[in-house]
Amino acid sequence: MKSVRSLAALLAVAAASVSLSGCGGGTAPQGPVSTAIDGKGQTLNAYLPADSVNSEAQKAWFAEVGAKFKEETGAEVHWETFASANEELTKIQTSVVSGQGPDLYGIGTSFTPTAYSTGAFVKLDDTLWSTMGGRDKFVPAQLGISGPNEDNQIAVPLATDPFVIAYNTELFQAAGMDKPANSWDGLVEQAKKLTTDTAYGMAIPYKDNFAPWKFIWGMSAQAGNPLVDGKSVSLDDSSTVEAYETFFGWLSNDKVVDPASVGWNFSQATAEFASGKAAMLPMASSRIIPTLEKSAVAGKVKFALLPTTPPGETSRPSDGVEAASIIGGTNLVIADYSQQKHLAAALIKVMTGEEAQLSQYTKLGILPSTKAAQDALPASNYDYKPFLEAASKSKATPFTAAWSDVQLAMTNVVVQSLPELSSGTLDRAKIKQRVEEAQKSAESAVERIKG
Amino acid sequence: MSISTGKRLRPQLDDQPDVASATSKATLNGGRRGVTQRNRPLWLLAPGGMMMLLIIVIPLLIGLYIALIDLDQYTLRQWMATPFVGLANFIEAITETSLLKAIWLSVSYSVLSTLLTVPLGVAAAAATQNHFRGRGIVRSLFLIPYVMPAFVVATVWQTIFQPDGILNQVLNTQGTLWLNGPNSYWALVIAQVWSAWPFIYLMSLAGLQSVDHEVHEAAALDGAMWWKKLRYVVFPYLRGPVALACLIGTLHHINNFTLPFVLFGVPTPIDVEVLPILTYVTAFQSLRFGLSAAMAIVSLVLIMIPLFIYLRAVKLDTTEEPGGTK
Repeated sequence: MKSVRSLAALLAVAAASVSLSGCGGGTAPQGPVSTAIDGKGQTLNAYLPADSVNSEAQKAWFAEVGAKFKEETGAEVHWETFASANEELTKIQTSVVSGQGPDLYGIGTSFTPTAYSTGAFVKLDDTLWSTMGGRDKFVPAQLGISGPNEDNQIAVPLATDPFVIAYNTELFQAAGMDKPANSWDGLVEQAKKLTTDTAYGMAIPYKDNFAPWKFIWGMSAQAGNPLVDGKSVSLDDSSTVEAYETFFGWLSNDKVVDPASVGWNFSQATAEFASGKAAMLPMASSRIIPTLEKSAVAGKVKFALLPTTPPGETSRPSDGVEAASIIGGTNLVIADYSQQKHLAAALIKVMTGEEAQLSQYTKLGILPSTKAAQDALPASNYDYKPFLEAASKSKATPFTAAWSDVQLAMTNVVVQSLPELSSGTLDRAKIKQRVEEAQKSAESAVERIKG
Repeated sequence: MSISTGKRLRPQLDDQPDVASATSKATLNGGRRGVTQRNRPLWLLAPGGMMMLLIIVIPLLIGLYIALIDLDQYTLRQWMATPFVGLANFIEAITETSLLKAIWLSVSYSVLSTLLTVPLGVAAAAATQNHFRGRGIVRSLFLIPYVMPAFVVATVWQTIFQPDGILNQVLNTQGTLWLNGPNSYWALVIAQVWSAWPFIYLMSLAGLQSVDHEVHEAAALDGAMWWKKLRYVVFPYLRGPVALACLIGTLHHINNFTLPFVLFGVPTPIDVEVLPILTYVTAFQSLRFGLSAAMAIVSLVLIMIPLFIYLRAVKLDTTEEPGGTK
């Protein structure tokens, strides 16, 4: 009995300490802040995605930014990185529950609506925007997924990572073409011409956990279907079913994709393209450039915008959106429990300053998110204009707290259809059936939204 | 000719004085009690008890509490004030999710994998029991699948199972999907068996080494050939260690997250949506921590059933051993 009482007391103490620390984070003072922040003797904790390919260069960038930050505020930065979204989410959970943890987080753009729904991150007010150097310095499209509207934003773009098509100029020239078409139907016709005994028209990562839903979202948005609008879910709209049919049809009907791609993730599709066995790699980001520079297609690759005319159409419908890419990249958010919110904003100012943004591009190959840095990009072996154009034409995925489940449901349609796609037995009825299941799953997630 | 059973071939044990019995009798007669039964320094267990409390009991209680509240991304920040929903998460887990199917998949693949690893492990142990040139190297090689990290094992098998991978080339089944559809179940079993059989081998080897030399000699004197020696002398000794290995192995398979997660990714094909994957997706993709905790509790109960049966069996068994506490 005594041990039971002791255990209860221990639990009560643990629970009290957790809730008290939570309260402490929630009542942090937020008075007006002068432009110059004195952070002498303070240390700020920043938690950012690890660059596994360029880890040493990333450390050098951290050191550079940290030195500049210390020069401006007198405060130190303790940098910590995470390797996976799972690791990051666990950190966010434990920090939010305990009220202790990093002051500043780097999160994926598509995770921002979920982060917003937790209420665990600071809504940016005029003072914070001012401390960060103002809203106007960013490329406007990049702020499209910082919050549900301009008055309720929690995130600031650190890096831009738009999606485009990489294409093999040699194979295009051999087929008598100069660049990819701007409609999905046109792209398939080109892919058919480019498919030969030695190369396929496109490299598609059917088994990737992230790429397939982007195709479906893009084609649906271009056809005028936002997928989720408030509490309304329209995954079962005919435009989305057609998007899936088109996506699968490249392999089953058009035969412009290697049949082995039913087992490929994006890295494997990139390897196929880099070996010269595929003429186009849609949904490519600038992060593949280092791989291409060391490959058989080095010097033969260019980039172009993804099509913005939906399948089955010759022009975009009036309610269609020119969705050239999702808003990709990394957003910075400040933890609500942080006692150093304005210091965190001052660090964001340094990280998104022209000097740090250009250094990030030079060291890590990551495209800047600010206008000034984009304008000042140095010359490169590759023409970055398509990436910058795609970034400016990027569109946000629906800003809903249920997006994580919606995205999972969309990808699930592809995953569960692969056996039939591989055996050639996938038809519209089966696609429709799976899309309806995804619709139910998404509806259920949207219904659970609170607040 | 009748062959003696393992029990009958243990004269040296039967001839031992029954120490426990003697001690027990001395105690009953008011004589000196053994050190373990007199002035027990139970406080020495306190550090271990504290560790168990911190590492097992408190997280378990918190997990149970989370399973009873509506904790998700919206309530995470005020989790202490999250509405109590009683058994609603458990009911939802059972009636509205694929939990029951996941349990079936987890149990069936785990038991199947264990059944397949037993003959492999026992055969490997028997083959390396007698001394031969290079035995040490062979024994070390046998352990490679077991000591490799699950992440590496899964990555290697993922490459092997690719549509244009080596397995399809060897089987001449180009294009066959192993990581999606019904074949994915067998892919999981194959990868699991490959990484798990050395555990059965290790336990079998330990069992074989506990067979006294005299027992082999006695069997040889009785004229037992290799099969009868194996069947009536060696196997009875192996029963305990292999049963324990089967139990631990099966529980490990049920709990194995890394192998299916790396092998198939998320979302997982429905044929391999095993319990740890479903729990993970519910917690880390759908961010429904309460529902996920309820699933985890269900999986804990699932694991405790065979564990309880086994521990009961072991307890009954040890009481018959000399020196066992009754």
